[in-house]
Amino acid sequence: MAYAVELKNIKKVFPGTVANDNISLEVEQGEVFAIVGENGAGKTTLMNILYGLYEPDAGEIYIFGKKVENNSPRKAIKLGIGMVHQHFMLIPKFTVYENIVLGEEFVKNGILLDRNKAREEVKRVSQLYGLEVDPDEKVENLPVGIQQRVEVVKVLFRGAEILILDEPTAVLTPQETKDLFKTIRSLKESGKTVIFISHKLKEVLEIADRIAVLKNGKLKGIENARETDERKLARLMVGRDVIFEVPKREKKPQDVILEVKNLVIMGDKGIPAVKGISFYLRKYEILGFAGVEGNGQRELVEALTGLRPVKEGKIIIKGKELTEFDPWVLRRQGVAHIPEDRRDRGLVLPFSVSHNLFIGRQREGFFSGRLFLRKDNIDSFSKQKVEEYDIRPHNPELVVDSLSGGNQQKVVVAREVSYEPDILVASQPTRGLDVGATEFVHEKLIEQRDAGRAVVLISFELDEIMRLSDRIAVLYGGEIVGELSAEEVTEEELGLLMLGLKRYEKREVPA
Amino acid sequence: MNVYETIVSFITSAIQFGTPIILAALGGVICENAGVVNIALEGMMRMGGFFAVLGSYITARSFDPILGGIDPRSGNPWFGILLAILVGVLVGLLHGYISITLRGNQIVSGVAINVFALGGMTFFLERFFSTTGHSPSVASFMGQPLIPGLSGVPIIGGIFGNLNVFNWLALILPFVIHFYLYHTAMGLRHRSVGEHPKAADTLGVNVYRIRYIATIGSGILAGLAGASMSMGQLDLFDNHMPSGLGFIALAAMIFGKWTPIGTLFASLFFTLASVAQSYVQSAAPQVLKYIPVGFWLALPYILTIIVLVSFVGRAVAPAADGTPYEKGEKL
Repeated sequence: MAYAVELKNIKKVFPGTVANDNISLEVEQGEVFAIVGENGAGKTTLMNILYGLYEPDAGEIYIFGKKVENNSPRKAIKLGIGMVHQHFMLIPKFTVYENIVLGEEFVKNGILLDRNKAREEVKRVSQLYGLEVDPDEKVENLPVGIQQRVEVVKVLFRGAEILILDEPTAVLTPQETKDLFKTIRSLKESGKTVIFISHKLKEVLEIADRIAVLKNGKLKGIENARETDERKLARLMVGRDVIFEVPKREKKPQDVILEVKNLVIMGDKGIPAVKGISFYLRKYEILGFAGVEGNGQRELVEALTGLRPVKEGKIIIKGKELTEFDPWVLRRQGVAHIPEDRRDRGLVLPFSVSHNLFIGRQREGFFSGRLFLRKDNIDSFSKQKVEEYDIRPHNPELVVDSLSGGNQQKVVVAREVSYEPDILVASQPTRGLDVGATEFVHEKLIEQRDAGRAVVLISFELDEIMRLSDRIAVLYGGEIVGELSAEEVTEEELGLLMLGLKRYEKREVPA
Repeated sequence: MNVYETIVSFITSAIQFGTPIILAALGGVICENAGVVNIALEGMMRMGGFFAVLGSYITARSFDPILGGIDPRSGNPWFGILLAILVGVLVGLLHGYISITLRGNQIVSGVAINVFALGGMTFFLERFFSTTGHSPSVASFMGQPLIPGLSGVPIIGGIFGNLNVFNWLALILPFVIHFYLYHTAMGLRHRSVGEHPKAADTLGVNVYRIRYIATIGSGILAGLAGASMSMGQLDLFDNHMPSGLGFIALAAMIFGKWTPIGTLFASLFFTLASVAQSYVQSAAPQVLKYIPVGFWLALPYILTIIVLVSFVGRAVAPAADGTPYEKGEKL
């Protein structure tokens, strides 16, 4: 029997990088085939080539034994390939069925959009595979897990035999991930081939039959899931041994340094995004906020750092009320901020590494005199930081935009830590980073905690929250639905809290 | 004038004043729903307005017995419309080429077209009619009802019996375009390209083709809007045309939330100010003693500013409006 997919010597070069270097692999029909690798290893590029979004510079593609020429998404769909993209390809303002039939619409009377037929077909396909969706709901009103389901239905509606799932679990809660895995297994049972892209090794080991490892655009090996383990895969992926456990010294929290009382913060749509939350934070402590994206995390971070006004409630830092809508003041009071989007808020991309390392502190005497910047001081400061944080390449004069994501994040972390803050607010500090860079950022956060600082950690990655936090608060619908000590919590329980299926009564904040 | 006549004249003039705004704003709706911002409406109207007159003028053949020479009013106004459409297609293509194929800045392209139209039409006016004021009167649709028979019909006759071809287009096209955008398969694709071109592309929708269709359609509508001024409201091209109506049309499109029917009513709303002004001047000149004529002339623009300031924040544009799309761009 012919392979479902056969790639032969695929090569793709982007300006400055070889994204795929001579990759050959075969995927059998009816198997779940995983592709793992760090960010920038070339996984997504490879799949975009298979799906016809990119033209390969060299190499051949065979689908069910037939050679594919002049590939395009339209052609790939016809050949039975469906792709669920990492960033959903859904139109928020359109309904579920409009999104599903787009490009393959049913037509009556020559030109009229046949909406009823569309609804029926969407229902039929979704029931066939046990993927219930409401055809008339607008996509923007759906939770992420359901949006992903819509994507899968969209692909099945087009008659896909081979499904490519690009980092499908990145945005899901543990429960939603379980549902997804159930779906994948049932797809496999009905004879579909699934290609699963991920950098989460645990998941891949759970769901895949075979696992291909990519590194720097090269295929490092294909492993049978049953005969391999996390360490082995990680070594192939990173090229060295990876430490999964972060060494953390014993807890020794001291006095309360940050107190938040009945905080209400308005969201962008003019309705409260954070609805009266209270919590406290002590020195030598990391408080992790778990939760699905969009449950008030962003607004909370912005209020804590002075980027968004507080509607009601108080923020008390070191015993002083500082409910300020002014980042300058808060920074001077010892609040540093690693923002969730380093490219948007963390860095001035066209500026050099050196300037990004002290920006925000340009009024300090060390960095500037009356009129001019003190180039000597800036140079020695940035040289030292570049060494200390191993920001590569080791050249502070480079434009920060030209650095890799991990090194860009190192610049942000280096700057924020250099404030020597009392409170470090870290929002999604490892988003989009590969294993190595993640490890580095985690070490730094722990280091800050052990140096007596208080860290607020916001992350959508449960693993990260559980690994780093001393205490965990779960945000759901703008409220804290549970506050737990990191030792006693299970992933299961956090998942239930995150989905709003369980909640604890409010705990009083100690005076 | 009795009440019935007043109402009829009010509605008739609202339609007549509103026609260029409606047509141009519809051009904006078509363009921006496919994700291409079009601030060139003003310039496109100006070109359409000039070339419509030129088209009518160059088809003139009969001899003028009194003044001698060819009588400019003996041409074929339909040829004028044809030329306006043709020019619309060309400018639409140009805007498309810059903003779709070259992925240029759509605002810059729009400004360039506006600036070109300003100088270019003055040049052509000078070149063809040896003036920088206005062209001679040509054969036009001014005061030419499309269906004169309707004027005999009771109640509606007073309004519809007077409408020229442009007025009819302005009343019918919003519904045609609404039907297209919201009830056809092609319309669904059209809007998808304006909302999320990458998603549309992954489903095999041809983003570039739809965007070209949109910019060209927009050029045609704006060209007709210009023609409706020079060949519908008047029978000549005045160098001041379209005196900012293209920008009011943009405001109407925003106020109408980028929907064709919303835009129709938004355009009529803006027109009310012009109607009020002409009504005051003709029927109640004593008011001018207290509120000077300049204020009435400025009223449409003042309304535009007020509406834009108070509604723009809430109006939601198509998500990908103004964003060039590049196939195969790194994700």
